[in-house]
Amino acid sequence: MRLFKTILAFVVLLILFNLLNNSQGSIPPLGKFLNPFAGFWQNGEKLDHIDEVLDVKGLRDEVQVVWDERHVPHIFAENTYDIYFAQGFLTARHRLWQMEFQTHVAAGRVSEIIGEKAVEFDRLQRRRGLLMAAETTIQYMSEDPETHIILQAYANGVNAWIESLTPATLPLEYKLLNYEPEVWSTMKTALLLKFMAWDLTGRNSEMDMSIIQATLGEEFVNTYYPENTPRTDPVIPAAKPWRFDAMEPDSIPPSFIPQFVRDLRKSEPDPDNGSNNWAVSGTKTASGYPMLANDPHLGLNLPSIWYEIQLTTPDMNVYGVSMPGAPAVIVGFNKDVAWGVTNAGSDVMDWFEIEFKDDSYTEYLYMDEWIKSDLRIEEIFVRDGDTVLDSFAVTRFGHLVHFGENKLENGHPAGLAMRWSAHDPSNEMIAIRNMNLATDRETFYTAAEAFESPGQNFAMITRDGDIAIRHNGKYPLRGLDQGKFVRAGRDTIGEWRDWIPYEQLPAISNPWSGYVSSANQNPVGKKYPYYLGWDYDDYERGSRINDRLDHLDKIKFGDMQDLHMDNFNKQAELILPFLLKQLDVEVYSGDTEAIINDLQGWNYVSDPHEKAAWVYQQWWQRIEQAIWNDELNIYGEIRKIPTRSVTARLLLRKSKLAYYDDINTPEKEGRSEIINRAFRKTLSDLEEDLGAYGEAWELGRARGTDINHILSVKGLGRTGLYTGGGRGIVNATKKTHGPSWRMLVEMGDRPAAKVIYPGGQSGNPGSTYYDNAVKDWVMGKYYDIHFLDSTDIENNSKLTLSRLRNYQ
Amino acid sequence: MINILVALVTVFILQILFYSWWWIILVPLVLGFLERDSAFKASAGSGLGIFLLWFGMAIYQWQNGGEIIVTRISEVIGIGSGLILALATGLIGFLVALVAGYAGFSLRKVLIKEYQIS
Repeated sequence: MRLFKTILAFVVLLILFNLLNNSQGSIPPLGKFLNPFAGFWQNGEKLDHIDEVLDVKGLRDEVQVVWDERHVPHIFAENTYDIYFAQGFLTARHRLWQMEFQTHVAAGRVSEIIGEKAVEFDRLQRRRGLLMAAETTIQYMSEDPETHIILQAYANGVNAWIESLTPATLPLEYKLLNYEPEVWSTMKTALLLKFMAWDLTGRNSEMDMSIIQATLGEEFVNTYYPENTPRTDPVIPAAKPWRFDAMEPDSIPPSFIPQFVRDLRKSEPDPDNGSNNWAVSGTKTASGYPMLANDPHLGLNLPSIWYEIQLTTPDMNVYGVSMPGAPAVIVGFNKDVAWGVTNAGSDVMDWFEIEFKDDSYTEYLYMDEWIKSDLRIEEIFVRDGDTVLDSFAVTRFGHLVHFGENKLENGHPAGLAMRWSAHDPSNEMIAIRNMNLATDRETFYTAAEAFESPGQNFAMITRDGDIAIRHNGKYPLRGLDQGKFVRAGRDTIGEWRDWIPYEQLPAISNPWSGYVSSANQNPVGKKYPYYLGWDYDDYERGSRINDRLDHLDKIKFGDMQDLHMDNFNKQAELILPFLLKQLDVEVYSGDTEAIINDLQGWNYVSDPHEKAAWVYQQWWQRIEQAIWNDELNIYGEIRKIPTRSVTARLLLRKSKLAYYDDINTPEKEGRSEIINRAFRKTLSDLEEDLGAYGEAWELGRARGTDINHILSVKGLGRTGLYTGGGRGIVNATKKTHGPSWRMLVEMGDRPAAKVIYPGGQSGNPGSTYYDNAVKDWVMGKYYDIHFLDSTDIENNSKLTLSRLRNYQ
Repeated sequence: MINILVALVTVFILQILFYSWWWIILVPLVLGFLERDSAFKASAGSGLGIFLLWFGMAIYQWQNGGEIIVTRISEVIGIGSGLILALATGLIGFLVALVAGYAGFSLRKVLIKEYQIS
């Protein structure tokens, strides 16, 4: 009996141990997690504590770090190695989990952390070739000794931090997911850079466009998906003459309809990824100094995508934001130049249908011959599961991403290969480093040339008084519409053979208007001799910024702030009066009458308290759906619908159009009917969601903004934020997306800047500095930065000084 | 009383030095084995000792810069407050140490009995 009791006690103990020591589904291992000596209890504010002296293994000289009131580190080092070592060390101190997790996502290694459910994601990620591209890139970057030192110093710094961790000080997410950080390598930085390229250039509508063309015809595509979006004011003024001999692209590839068009699936980053930037010359500012504004619009998460930092060595003093995981400052300024980025949006990704000889995918048809493909084998390690092996062919048209489902009519297997500029080796790291060191316009753009991917509109100002913008990046030489549709990868037609020379890329400096700007719209007008792409953002933000800058004079920081936070909805201004005229107003009463009155009285400013802003947005969305979602529902998926401006132009100009009709109903709907029907549907939907017309219908409440934790863990994000703005509005704040970094710089004798991002410096959800800026970001406030040099350190009581010392 | 204190102090020192949560198994197991007289003393002594240690330590962390993290984790887990979270932490410690203490004591009884027979 006693023996039985003993065995029973041990069995119970074993079960308890097993339950508490291992994750149970999404529940963390509770023994470890609740352990007050090493579990989550240890992730409080004491991790924010700054030591006066820290002994760090691997530094060459002593490094001084000044921490300001927002915990931005201002690092003072004696040499290049130490500055990036310290950057790696301190970034990891605040953001280790995030930086490592992002590189796992990029590499397609998420299954190693969360198990089987991520296998499909990892498989697709591998086939997209981010891992392979990072491998090629790190090899290429390491050939440059300076880049190698920077990357290695950063990696050593990160690893010094990892080594200093104890089970208690491990970031919370490792405890939640029950794993530990691995050694940081330079490869991880390359992965991060490729991930950034994917996020910003991975959006591609070729598959949808091929399906639409195959189903609705070429004329439909030409009419409703034009090269130049109506009303667009291009980044480089359309009137600018281009004085160079342009290279001739190949003839336009013939129209081609992929045979397994039905199976084309899109998979792309958020289409809202975009940004605003503008630079104003001293002739338009109150101070006489040039000013710059930038706000990259990205998915909003906690921890934030950006990490603010100042890096100072005897030959460099640069301030701005870095991406956790990559050395140097990506967007910012030094004492001579300031720069900001917007996504270029030009097409750097093409899809090709490849015909293979058989299911081994080892030979494909090219110029009427069977050519050998390389087979790449990927091992996907799965937590608590068997390793998954995946293989895909690599052809001269890129990686085979989608394959294995259908055969061509001739019985041969086929696949879709992706040719993407980011697959080519490039050294963005040295570009960023040299931009950080730039002293004038020339040195800045010389540096930017190496920033091949992702393509960006680099706007910049200099202490010399220059303002400039360049549609920067590496773009293939193309014929018109090349890259708009999936093409046949069977011969040289459509193959990338050359690149647009850097000096012939769209650029302008010191225009007579006194400003330059960009908002992801088409970079050029029809005169520009090269075809760069077609799928740019609509006209509204760019046009609004230019309207305001045209009128503004004696510009101060306050004007720039107002423009960042500008909630004017240009599209509503264009179309809402017309839509309201179409309403059969007399049939409405009660709340509906009040709603119509509010819409009629609305000044098109999408402030958070505006109910009309939300009603309009929802109404417009339903109008778009009513026009397009029937015809464009092809093979079970709503395909790419025309831009807002194309749809608005149709509604304004055409009272009769076949596409107004809902093909799923027996009646024939006309323009007025769909507008009225969409209105009624909007009201009934909103009433169902939000109740009677009132406070809940305000934009800031009905939509608002949620900044979720990267893992979407409830309780670790900030949700229900009362925000205005929206799509097509300069303040491009949306539900989970928006201005990820607002920066204003005035380039005087000493640069002055106001900045904010919706988060905080720390990645620790238990820290005050995790989300301390969120409230101010919502309110449209900014922080004055401290651009320090070594003489400032002693004179500022707000700052905390710590020293990093080497120990051996 | 002494069992409570020994369990508390021993595990406190070991966890400060080596962090692992399973000290709350190992120590009660050994203490239980060393307890000659009473199964109750062996199990409840360790259980209470560990409860006090984990609950107390949790409260200490909560009150010393842990307010934000405790609020967040309360929301993540869906537990109403920091106090309940600390109690849950203590109770898990209690349960594990209780079973471990009893297991240690039982083991001793089995081994000693076997020794006496032989």
